[in-house]
Amino acid sequence: MPEITSASGTGAMPETAFAAEGAPMSDRSFSVLGVFETPDALMKAIPKVRAAKLGTVEAYTPYAIHGIEEALGLRKSPLGGMVLVMGIIGALTALGFQYWISAIDYPIITGGKGAGSWEAFIPIMFEVTVLFATFTAGLGMLHLLNKLPFFGHPVLSSKSIKGITRDRYVLAVEAEDEAFDSAGAAMALRAAGAIEVEALPAPDRSPFLTSDNILRALGGIFVACLVAGLAMYFATKWFPLLKPMANMQDQPRLNAQKPSSFFKDGHGMQQPVAGTVARGHLPTATGTQDEAASLVNPLPRTKEVFALGKKVYTNRCEVCHGAVGTGVGSLTAAYGAKPANLQAQQFLDYPDGKIYWAVVNGKNAMPSHAPYLSEQERWAVVHYVRALQRAQNAKDEDLKVATR
Amino acid sequence: MSPNKNTSNLPSSWLWGAVALGALGVLGTYASAGPERFWANWILWFVLLFTLGLGSLFIVALEHLVNAKWSVPVRRIPERLATLLIPAVPVGLIALAALPVLYPGTRPEAAHHPILAGKAFWLSLPFFSVRTVIALALCILGLWVLVGGSLRQDTTKDPAFNFKARKFAPAFMAIFALVITLVAFDWLSGLTPEWYSDIFGVYVFAGAFLSGLAATSLSVLHLQDEGRLEGVKGDHLYNLGGFLFAFTVFWSYIGFAQYMLMWYANLPDEVIWYKVRLQGAWRLITIALASLHFVLPFFALVTRDAKKDPRRLRRVAYLMLGAHTLDIYWLIFPILGASPRFSWPELSFALFFLGGILLWIRGAMQKGEDMPAGDPFLREGLEFRL
Repeated sequence: MPEITSASGTGAMPETAFAAEGAPMSDRSFSVLGVFETPDALMKAIPKVRAAKLGTVEAYTPYAIHGIEEALGLRKSPLGGMVLVMGIIGALTALGFQYWISAIDYPIITGGKGAGSWEAFIPIMFEVTVLFATFTAGLGMLHLLNKLPFFGHPVLSSKSIKGITRDRYVLAVEAEDEAFDSAGAAMALRAAGAIEVEALPAPDRSPFLTSDNILRALGGIFVACLVAGLAMYFATKWFPLLKPMANMQDQPRLNAQKPSSFFKDGHGMQQPVAGTVARGHLPTATGTQDEAASLVNPLPRTKEVFALGKKVYTNRCEVCHGAVGTGVGSLTAAYGAKPANLQAQQFLDYPDGKIYWAVVNGKNAMPSHAPYLSEQERWAVVHYVRALQRAQNAKDEDLKVATR
Repeated sequence: MSPNKNTSNLPSSWLWGAVALGALGVLGTYASAGPERFWANWILWFVLLFTLGLGSLFIVALEHLVNAKWSVPVRRIPERLATLLIPAVPVGLIALAALPVLYPGTRPEAAHHPILAGKAFWLSLPFFSVRTVIALALCILGLWVLVGGSLRQDTTKDPAFNFKARKFAPAFMAIFALVITLVAFDWLSGLTPEWYSDIFGVYVFAGAFLSGLAATSLSVLHLQDEGRLEGVKGDHLYNLGGFLFAFTVFWSYIGFAQYMLMWYANLPDEVIWYKVRLQGAWRLITIALASLHFVLPFFALVTRDAKKDPRRLRRVAYLMLGAHTLDIYWLIFPILGASPRFSWPELSFALFFLGGILLWIRGAMQKGEDMPAGDPFLREGLEFRL
């Protein structure tokens, strides 16, 4: 590949067609090439040709020549800055997407990590940074700075191209406006030591991304989506036994309350691993129920707490203890054991701590509910049981509060 | 750790004074602050001395391995810095006395520890000492072949050394990987033998290479200020700066990869090591380490011009040497307690060892040629352009 070094981006030159075969010197030539035999000769010629100020000076060489950028007075490429900015945007994009998904829109605690754990975001941020940066570097270099794609550069069909790819060093003076003095440029090049001079027409820079082409591309994508969507719709309608993607439906997942061949005991639902504590669930209180009697319910008696307690009671307690805590639930008949009647005097006299202890540790046939309830839910259901008891043994002043 | 701008004006007597004053403090540390504090400091400086010397030797070996020409004119600098491995030998042998004090694996009760019992032979005092002696001997071997050979070539002008070094370099890379992994595992992660990390050797390697690069860049800039190293241009500096830039990223990549896996797996034996470093004042030091060792140098060196700007490069090189010191401090000192220890014992050790290292480097920089005059590729290296 010949090294193409441009002193500045060349503007499009409309109305200039390719030179016809056998007519390399058109009267409206766009650039003039001067051929040199050695890189030293080229380097020595550059300041002289640039001093003539006839147009943009470019060099075409078989390989990179040290110092040629400085000699041609190339400006610093803006590519580095573009890549840095887009890399930072990539990092922030990845951070924003992940944070929004995992901490705001659909927070799920997995692996015991809190929602929005930044550590897990870093690898994705790294990858997206690299993706944005490399795309910017590649496309920015090719399209924005080198103005590719375009349909052909006259240098590629010049007489000098063979030399440029082999052992010749070419300097080009390119037109910057309509008043390009090609004869003057040829003279300047010869004066600087060029052994051959050649005039070329302007490159065909008719734009590639025209509105027509963009519309065609968008139309093609739209038609392809439409065809694929309709085909899928009718395929599933006409061939209902054909499952297009059964992997999601038939995955060997674990279902709560269902048997599973995965675990030894055949249950889909497992007790937590011994010695582990789920996030937000304090370790289960040890000690006896009498020792727990002194515990004080830390939650205030607010509407929210009672609502939470009611939810917990309905989901976990009602099947056995009944809707008002009388110990007659829908499951009672299925078991020999008789659930406690929470309205009995014994339980009316219980301090909060003892009820909490029973919820956490279980009692008699009742299993521990600690793995399923957060610390807040445990205490909220204690408040709710208290409310159930009070409702069955209401005093006069309660009525006044209710009617007020 | 290497001569800075002022040390050329700083008389050697001042450095000797610093060493003497530091030596008093070092002795005082042993007497009044206790052996644990003393040996923790000693190991900190042994590891710093060792990583600086071995990191520099790695730069030399890397040049021979890939047959690089650009670095021939500056190769004498890492060669001279690599001679720090010579004082590292006595410092390392003295450090063996720290084993029963700081290294739980060398104590007899380790045989009854559920985790350490399986590693008891490896961690035992005799085998630990033998490994250290072997590691130091291998370093001296590498130094003898690569640096000694290069110095002899100055007078013999025999190009055979280049072929010999090129053949030896791949073998040295294997030796290097073994030695740096042994030292990292034994001397640094051996302080907490229940904790284990596969990548730890690579992590220490990244720091060692960075410290070697930073010291090399600083010494090159310093010699240039004195009008030496004629012909070393911005293009050479650019390559040194590019290496520094790349390896700040490498260091953080390895460091974060190690952290993230342990954070995810959340295994008690592993996270405990990070837990102590992410609580209280150590948390601030961890954040400072990530900022000074990665964020700051990364953005300081990100542009093309910054990598060959002598002023910028000098500042970043100082920063990297400081950050590497902080890194090793962060690896060792949490064993002494939840609050970071830093007061007169640490300053005394810094005075003693920094003074000694600067005196050694200053002496090395005065000896012989500034460039490998006998290397047939010297001219090609001087003509290097980006």
